[in-house]
Parts: sequence; structure tokens; C-alpha cells
Amino acid sequence: MSGYRIRKGKEIAFFLAIAILTLITILPLFHIIATVFINGLPSVAEKGFTFLTGTLSEGGIGPAIIGTFVLMFLSSLIGLPIALLVGIYAYEYPDSLIGKWTKTLLQIMLEFPTILVGVFVMNIIAIPMGSYSAFAGAFALAIILMPYVAVYTHEAMRQIPFTYREASFGLGLTRIKVIFRLLVPLSKRGVLTGVLIGMAKVAGETAPLLFTAGGLYQSYSIGIFKPVGAIPLLIYTLVQSPSKVDHATAWGASLVLLLIFLLVFIPVRMSLKEVKL
Amino acid sequence: MKKMKRNGIILASLLLASLLTGCIEGGILTIRTTGATFPQYQMQKWIDIYHQIHPNIRIEYEGGGSGHGQEAFLKGLTHIGRTDPPVKEDTWNKFLDTGDQPLQFPIIVGAVVIAFNLQGVNELKISRKVLVDIFMGNIEYWDDEAIKQLNPDINLPHEKIKVVHRSDSSGTTSIFTTYLSLISDDWANEVGAGKTVEWPVDKMGRGLAGKGNPGVVAILKQTEGSICYTELSFAIEENLAVASLENKNGKFVKPTTETIQTAVSQVSAYIPNSTEGYKENIEQLLDAPGDNAYPIVAFTHFLIWQNKNGKHYSPEEAKAVKEFLTWILTEGQKEENLAPGYIALPSEVAQIGLNAIEMIQS
Amino acid sequence: MSVLQKIKRIDGFKIITSPAVMFVFLLFAWMLIVYFYNALPAFVREGLATYFKNVWQATEEASKEHYGLLAAIWGTVYTSIIAILVALPLSIAYSVFVIDYAPKKIKNALIVLSDVMAGLPTIIYGIWGVFVLVPLLQKYVMFPLHKHLSFIPIFSSPPITGYSYFSAGILLGIMVTPFASAIMREAYQMIPFTYREAAIASGMTRYEATKTLLGYIKPAIFSGMILAFGRAVGETVAVSLVIGNTFNLSIGLFSPGYTISSLIANQFGNAFIYEHMLPALYAAGLALFIIGLAVNIAGLYLFRKWEKNVRI
Repeated sequence: MSGYRIRKGKEIAFFLAIAILTLITILPLFHIIATVFINGLPSVAEKGFTFLTGTLSEGGIGPAIIGTFVLMFLSSLIGLPIALLVGIYAYEYPDSLIGKWTKTLLQIMLEFPTILVGVFVMNIIAIPMGSYSAFAGAFALAIILMPYVAVYTHEAMRQIPFTYREASFGLGLTRIKVIFRLLVPLSKRGVLTGVLIGMAKVAGETAPLLFTAGGLYQSYSIGIFKPVGAIPLLIYTLVQSPSKVDHATAWGASLVLLLIFLLVFIPVRMSLKEVKL
Repeated sequence: MKKMKRNGIILASLLLASLLTGCIEGGILTIRTTGATFPQYQMQKWIDIYHQIHPNIRIEYEGGGSGHGQEAFLKGLTHIGRTDPPVKEDTWNKFLDTGDQPLQFPIIVGAVVIAFNLQGVNELKISRKVLVDIFMGNIEYWDDEAIKQLNPDINLPHEKIKVVHRSDSSGTTSIFTTYLSLISDDWANEVGAGKTVEWPVDKMGRGLAGKGNPGVVAILKQTEGSICYTELSFAIEENLAVASLENKNGKFVKPTTETIQTAVSQVSAYIPNSTEGYKENIEQLLDAPGDNAYPIVAFTHFLIWQNKNGKHYSPEEAKAVKEFLTWILTEGQKEENLAPGYIALPSEVAQIGLNAIEMIQS
Repeated sequence: MSVLQKIKRIDGFKIITSPAVMFVFLLFAWMLIVYFYNALPAFVREGLATYFKNVWQATEEASKEHYGLLAAIWGTVYTSIIAILVALPLSIAYSVFVIDYAPKKIKNALIVLSDVMAGLPTIIYGIWGVFVLVPLLQKYVMFPLHKHLSFIPIFSSPPITGYSYFSAGILLGIMVTPFASAIMREAYQMIPFTYREAAIASGMTRYEATKTLLGYIKPAIFSGMILAFGRAVGETVAVSLVIGNTFNLSIGLFSPGYTISSLIANQFGNAFIYEHMLPALYAAGLALFIIGLAVNIAGLYLFRKWEKNVRI
């Protein structure tokens, strides 16, 4: 009987330990969100609308917000078509050597140190072109976004029942028609998910932009081949400043960034059973 | 939902259209300046005022240190490079290799100060020997005999001295280590001078590094018992306690407008012509004689291109750069446009820059 | 087979998709080549000392320049090990709790929360790390440990500023835990249901059943840890804000240091003006590249191998 009691005791201790560790795991998230709000709200409130629209010398982060959207948009524009095709390829040739390698490469790209992408893109784009630019920044981000789109495309297409495919081949359609007219439209939700998750991810990336985007915080003179700002990049600079004013701006910018991330991420996440990050 | 989608599409196409035409706001020209953080507060003040009087020109300030300033200038990634120490001959030759003529001239005077963070202590005298020994790591605790002797009235804690220095390639570091090399053979032989050096204190675990003057000051403020070298304006702006240093004549002087001006008046003859910037030697500018001269004064410089055949600037950019720099060297040097901790250039030194600006081709 | 037939066999599909696949492979290869090619001068000049020496002498007299990356490599490995030591218990507990114990509603909420954590912009971890985590750790963890246990070598260095291997490691641990737990959850759920049934039916308590099942996914836990290590190795901005950025080679947890990625972030912007610094930084990038690649391939390989065994 006492053996049972020990076992039961262990069971309770185990449960407690697991529950506490779970709490510890998730606690930082709440703490982070709380501190970002507590520190960020006052500095946003103090400047009011100017915080969202003004330039840095006016006490706002407007150009950085626009920059982040431009980069999200451009990087999807560059990354989407390529990633889509790569995802389809991986779906169509799952057992061929290249197909297998492609899948492995995508997995590796998901994990690849992003700072290396930044330095690489500086080397191949920013320096030859003689200028930091939105294009260089977006290209770096596109390299990071691509595997998300490709992996989700691949997954979504795998979910389509095989009979669809058989039936359309049976009708005598060519492979290209079957895939692009039938299977891709059927998996567009998965593709969209991949793009959105990828966008949420690149919106918060800093390292790939360090040597590519250049930064632009005093004006809205935005162009593909001109330097561009980004919220994470701005935060990174402001955090390293000694001035309290800069820190306040950094917290406010963090709040804006956090909201952008959550607004994109949460709806997408809720519509899915599982995500890959 | 559908409406949202349509709005999204409209927004996206607007964005794309504006991207392709290259501009959201018409007619605004952005001039970028990159590098030394030594003149940060002064630059910000100038930029704020200048933006008000020239709404069509935006000056984009980027930090990164003197090393980054020289690099970005060389690669054409910025319009105006900023560097504290004058460019060395090797780098100058790299500039010349681009086929354009670089021009270098001072824009403002500042001072490197020794700031510290000790609870309840605001005044501290530091002799030449003690200064070297602290940064060498030879003096480990704040209540070391050598420091006590100089400051008998101050209650120094038995706490380790933490030395904060720069992590990036820095003009402030270059000026400070040049000064240390000048006053100490040991330092010259064991550590030397440069934009980055191997700090002996790092190996003892008492060294800390921050990026840019802002990074250094941020760490100092967060760290009890630390000491750092930084630009005077940062010390003023952030209310840091600043040490009095022993000068060439053996007097202890605080960095003030007066002591800095005294030093500058002794050395400004050593500034070369802007086309021969590499000939400037910072050793000649440091440790000026005079009872009331602060020993570590520094000129911070701009780097611009003569723009032969329009190699680096478009005509509009060249015009804007000219206007902005002329304003800095004339209006910008007036008392009301100076930020705390910076001293105006003597007029004969400002003239070097004005001559350089005349050479820009548009 | 006639030429015409051959052309017909290469259908439109391949013509459209192959270039994209090739582009991605070439991009990756190009990246490797860029790092290798640009790092070469460093190996020629310094030999293996590039990786096995701790020295960073940047001067404008080219002959006196010397660069050895040991401090940064050490910092990268050390902080990442701390990170997975933090992540290991947390992610196991999290996975077990979510799958075995949590009621359905809480379960979904917890999974979403951990996904939010995994995707949260790293700069937000960074700003939180600098202003919140580091001061807390310094005051409540590092000072007490150093005060009472400084005879143990890893606690011997004083927590002067709080910026240290320890802070970076803890922050990384927090960041990679949700990621590691996602992998473990996947593995844990893959255990055939019959196993679970059998465990309960044999009269085991839940704790005993969990222990048995965890033993079963041990290889997956291991590969999850490897992948988490890989993620920690590559993280840049959050780490560079809390590591202290000093060329230090110390076992002391509370000493400031460098990591490869923070070294690149800090020094790359001014490397061009020196004669030999740039190759050294590319060599650092190459090291990061290879560590990242090796760790990820190993992790993926182990996980897939395990997955196959389970499926059969």
C-alpha cells in the first residue's frame, strides 16, 4: 500500500514540476508583452499621431513604418514566385534526388543564420550598386521568406486528395495544366499562409538589414533603389543610445512592431492547426 | 471582408506605383551623412535647424563610428563621411583610386573627457600616470593609494574599476589612445594607438565595450564603479561626472569652453589644406601647452568628394551638399546654433572648409 | 528515340519550375563561395590561427594587423550550450504538459502562445533583454551566485555589468524553447496510440507512462536539441545587445564576450578601411556557415531517421 502512496506522490510531484516549468516557459512572453505595452504606450501617447507619421526629428517613426511595409511587400514580390515554383517542384518530385535535396535545402534555409544573408547581399548587391537600397534589403528578406512559402505550398498540395490528380490526368490534361490550373488554385490557402507567416517573420528581422537597407528616418523619399528604414533596424540603433528619449522611442517602436506582428500572425495562426517557424 | 481586400489591393498598387516612380513626397532631396558619433548632438542640432529653414532638403544622420564613416564614404554609400581622426595616407590613396578627389576639413571642436560612475562622487582629479594605469589595468580598485593621494577629500569605495571602451572602430578611441601613447612610453609600446586597440583590461575581465559613444555612455550609466572616455557633449547631455586631467604644465583642468579654446588656439596652425587631409597629424593637436589648456581636444572632420565629372553626386545633390556645408561653417558656428559641449572653429580653420566647398563640381 | 520525342518528354512543367529550383540551389552555393573566396586571404595570412587564436589587432599599419576568432567561436558555442541547457527541461515539460495534462482549451491556447513566442521579432527579445532581463539576472541570480559560490570556476568572474555569456545564454534559451518544444510535440504525438494504451493498461501511473514514452522519443528530443542549438548559434541582434562585445576567452559565466554573429554585426561596418580585417570577418562568417549547416543537417538527419523508424 505504501508503495502505491509513493507512486502517487511521485505522480503529483511530477505534475507540479511539469506545470511549473510550463509556466516558466510561457512567462517571458507575457512579461515581454506587458513591458512593451507599459513602456511603449506612454511614448506613443505622448506624441500621439505624430509618433506614427512624423520623422525621427519630429519624434516619430513614420518613415520606419513605411519602410517596414515596403520591405514586406517587396520581399514577398521577389520571393513568392520563386518559392511557389520550388514548392511545387518538391511536391511533384518527392522521391527524385533533386526533389529530396530541395526539401532538405528548404529546411536548412529556415534555420540559416540571417546575418550571413545580410553580409552576402551587401556583397552581391549593395556594394556593386554603390548604395544601400530597399531592393537590397528586400532581396535579403526574400531569401528568408522563400522557404516559408515553399514549405507551406508543398504541404498544402500534399493535402489534396490524390484522386483529383488521377482524374485530371485521366482526362488527358498535360502535367502543366493539372498543376497550375487545378492543384495550385486548390492549395492557394496554404500558399497565402506561407506568405503571411513569412511576412510576419521578415517584418521583425534585423540582422539581414544591417548592411543592406541603410536606414531612412528623416523623410519619406522612398524608392526601390534608395536607402530605406525599418522598425527593427531603428530599434536596434536606438537601444544602443544612452539617451532616455531614444529609449522611449525604441519602446514605442517596439509596441508598433509587436502589433504589426500580432495582427498578421494571430489570425493566420488561428486558422491553422499547426505552423512551422 | 471583401471591401477590405479591395482596399488592400488599392493600397498595394498605390505603393507599387509610388515605388516605381521613385518618390512618395515630391521634390525632397535626401543627403546622407555617416560615421563619427563624436559630433552626434551637434549634428542633430544643426539638422533640426536646417530642416526648418530648408524644408526640401532632408539630412539623414547615420552613426557607426569614424571607421564606418570612412568606409561608407569610400564605397559611395554616403554623401558626407564623418571622421574624427584625419584619414591615414593608405586610406586616402584608396579614396584617390576611385578617380575622384577627396576633401577633408574640420567642422567642429570637441574634447575627449574621462567620465565615471561612482555613487556620490562628482569631482575627481586624475594625473597622467594614474590615467594610464587605470586604462592599463595596473590600478584595480577605486580606493588605490595613487587615486587617494590625488583626491584626499573624496570618499572612494573599495570597488573594482570597470573600464568601458568602444567595440567599433572609433575616432574617439584613436584620439584617446594617441594621447595615452604620447604621455606614456609603456602604453605606446604595449598597446599603441588606433581606432581599435587590444585593451589590456579586457583580458582581466574588467573591460566592457559599447558601440559608438552612445553605447559606451549607456553602459557607463548602467554600471556602478565604471570609467570611460567619451565626447564632452555626451557627458553634458547625460549628466555624467567628469574628471579633471593633468595637462602638459602639470595643472589639473576640467574640460570647459575656456580650457578647450585655449588648447585650440595653440594648435590650429597644424591643420593642412583639405586636398591633403592625410597630412594632418593628431599628435600635434594633443597635449597643448598652457596652464589652462585641456589636454585632449579634437577636431572632427567631414569627408566630401570634389565630384570630378559628377562621379559621386548628381548636380542637385552637389548643390545641396554645398549649401548645407556652407551653412554649417558659417551660420552653424554661431553661438546659438552650437550644442552644449562643442566649441566653434576658429575662423581661419573654418576657412579651410569653405575653400574646400568651393571646389565641389556640380 | 528521336529528338522530337526527347523534347516532348521535357514537358512545360519542368521548364517552368526547374529554373526556380536551380536559382535557389545556386544562390546557396554562391553564398558559400562568397564566404569562402573572401575568407581565403585570412587563411593564407594567418593559417589555422584564424580560428584557434584569440587576438584582434586592428591597426592602420597593415603589417601589424592580426585577427584570430577563437573568442567569438568560443562565445558562440558557450552561449548556445547554455541556451539548450535552459531549453531542454523547459521544452520537455512544456510538450508533456500540453499533450498529456492540459485540458483541450488550455492546450490550444498554449500551443498558439508558444508559436507566437517562436515567431516574435528577435529585436523585441533584444530590447527586453537589455532593459529588463539583464538587470534582473544580475541582481537576483548573478550577484548571489558569485558571492556564495565564487570558488566554482564558472561563477568566479564578477558580474560587472550583467552583459555576459550567461545573460546571452538565458535569453537564447528563452527564445529557442518554443522552437524545441514544437519539434518534441511533433515527435511525442507521433508515438503510436497503442503504446500509450499499453502503458496505461499495464497499470502505470501517468508519470511512469510519460517516463516510458519520453524514453521512446529520446532520439527526437536529441535532434530537437541539436536544431535548437543551430538556431541559437545563428541569432544576432538580441545576443549582440546583451553579450558585452569584448574579446574575452573565459569559462566564467558572468564575463562579457563575443559571438561570431555579434562580431560581424559590430565590426563589418568598418572593416574595409583595414587591410586584413575583412577576410577575417568572412572567415568568421564561414565558420558560422559551416557550424550552422553541420548542426542543421545532423539534426534533420537524426529526426528523419527516427521518424522513419516510428512509421514502420
